[in-house]
Amino acid sequence: MKQASQRNIKVKIFRFDPFVSESPRYDTFEVPLNSRMSVMDVLDYIYENLDNSIAYYSHSACHQSICGRCMMFINGKASLACKTIVTEDITVEPPPKFTVIRDLFWTKGSK
Amino acid sequence: MSTQIIKTDVLVVGGGGAGLRAAIEAGKNNVKTILVCKGSIGRSGATELAGADLTADGKSLRNLGFFGEPKDSKETWFSDIVNQGYYLNNQKLLKIYVQNAPKRIKELLDWGMDVGFSEERALFTSGTGITDALKRSIKEYNVEMIDDMMITDLLTRNGKVVGAIGVDIKTGRFTIFQSKAVILASGGWHKAYSPNAGSRELTGDGQAAAYRIGAELVNMEMVTFCCNVLIWPPCWLGSIFTYILHMRSRADLVNDKGEKFLEKYNPKVVKIGTSTEWNKSFISIASMLEVLDGKGTPHGGVYFKRAVPSEAYEQQVLQFYPGWKFKGVDFSEMGKTLKEGSPVEVGPAAEYFEGGISINENCETNISGLYAAGECALSPFGANRVSAATTEMLVFGEIAGRSAAMFAKKVSGGEIDEKQVERLQEKMLQPLKRQEGVKPVRLRKHIQKMAHEKLGPVRNDSGLKMFIRELERVRVKDFPKLYTSSGSRKYNLEWIETIELRNIILLLEIAAKAALMRTESRGVHYRSDYPYTDYDNQLKEIVIKQVNGEPSMSRRPVVTLTMIPPTGRLPYFEALLKHMKAHSDIGGGH
Repeated sequence: MKQASQRNIKVKIFRFDPFVSESPRYDTFEVPLNSRMSVMDVLDYIYENLDNSIAYYSHSACHQSICGRCMMFINGKASLACKTIVTEDITVEPPPKFTVIRDLFWTKGSK
Repeated sequence: MSTQIIKTDVLVVGGGGAGLRAAIEAGKNNVKTILVCKGSIGRSGATELAGADLTADGKSLRNLGFFGEPKDSKETWFSDIVNQGYYLNNQKLLKIYVQNAPKRIKELLDWGMDVGFSEERALFTSGTGITDALKRSIKEYNVEMIDDMMITDLLTRNGKVVGAIGVDIKTGRFTIFQSKAVILASGGWHKAYSPNAGSRELTGDGQAAAYRIGAELVNMEMVTFCCNVLIWPPCWLGSIFTYILHMRSRADLVNDKGEKFLEKYNPKVVKIGTSTEWNKSFISIASMLEVLDGKGTPHGGVYFKRAVPSEAYEQQVLQFYPGWKFKGVDFSEMGKTLKEGSPVEVGPAAEYFEGGISINENCETNISGLYAAGECALSPFGANRVSAATTEMLVFGEIAGRSAAMFAKKVSGGEIDEKQVERLQEKMLQPLKRQEGVKPVRLRKHIQKMAHEKLGPVRNDSGLKMFIRELERVRVKDFPKLYTSSGSRKYNLEWIETIELRNIILLLEIAAKAALMRTESRGVHYRSDYPYTDYDNQLKEIVIKQVNGEPSMSRRPVVTLTMIPPTGRLPYFEALLKHMKAHSDIGGGH
């Protein structure tokens, strides 16, 4: 792969931790986009370098669009984080109909 | 937060192929069975990412209605696998693998598994094709299934297993399983390495938990690195698509100087070896030697370029992978790169663990009530796996399920030791209470990198000793200082990583000590300071067991039946060639 020139994108993320606060908020992170990255890669970058407390389905992720567990709303559309290639600023949220456990991690069942 | 207690007869740990197959068999034997999975049952572990081929002798495959080579036999397949495994195979386990493979494949077909195509000794489906068939079957039985449950430790009383403790990853709540028998089917420990070709939860939780209660681990130095795995860009990291393409259509591997390097190591091996699954050890070792020689790519691998004209190449790829789609990923951008003659970066990535928890023919361990199957258990493949691990998980999953069910019917089970539970919980909770110290991500990345460099496809005395010292330092100094940024137990990735790191550090230390003890090169274990295979002195299994809190190492003879090991000593690449040549003329990738 040719190396693309580095540029930063803004990633706006839904944050909610019932342990800390009753109401959700949005945090915005600047992430360097210097190669082909999926939303999962961008979230990994944030978790590893900017905010270790962020929650998104990662602990058993397959990273190859098979397990289907990293489904989230990316710019308002239901998508798999590992399948969606990032090219511009994005907003990432949990799908609206399900129960949010923390940040972008949600469940179909009860908390 | 309260701890919940669940009682069962058989607890199966792991929602990949081995765990599902074990749970089916336990359920069939009418014992109360619970199947727990760290992620999603049928959508986690190495199974979902498998290529996936299922192997059996060609004659049996032909009898099942597939292509299969009819002149093949179980005996021929058996001897080929012993050759591929450099005679380190446990031949009793291998006999079971060979004999049971056709039955396990037949039942998957009965349960509605689709097959794409077949060859001399294999048929091809997908990892989810296998797990979906297993999930259809398990519905027939009364098996309770629990997702997102990480089993962290086994519970014992008087040296016998009485259950296990787990963390519900969603809520952070501890769960106690009081169980007459426990089957570990929790897979490999891929995450100890970067890059790796596994899904993210594979952290050796089963092997480490078993070791901590006194189970024996065997052949832990034997790690298969899949060659030609994508290492760049991040969205393709760990995908084996280029490995698969290499099997279907010719490609060249070149180093940073533009040199085709494989021939240099052994031209005869290249000729025979790169189009079958033998390639994993040979190409991974050769690629790593180039990287260590300073001829690697910017991201620590080698370059992969097509070796056939552009149009023909694309035609060959699209025949198998329409739209350049592999698994769920769109690789058309990579297709463009390869078509225009540019390279992509690939390299060896941890893929399969030949060693594991010591088991006998009934999948019993040396601990009463504890069973193991699949990748976390000792494999029948010796020093090098060429035959399919998917078939392994099915064969031994079935046996473990049956054995554990029979055992559970006979015994009344033991009571949980509450003090033991409290101690384990207290230790796990400590990182959540610390406000500062060592970050789990930083520690994990540090040891993953060292694991690849020092305990990867190429090892030597000084590198292994340095790595062992560093792991000891990490265990004593860094691990007790791990802290999490959030004190919440709800889906706290950092907290999960602290529990995983305990296992990763332990298994790396054990494997590094075993690799140091094996002063030769055999199969996937290559020592640059001992570049020969020593049949006279080293044809032994290395067994590791915890004694007084420390790993105690010993050697034991390999279990042989009909195949008598050779004698003497050969330079590694000549030994490789000898074993390749001794392989039967049954074609195909196995």
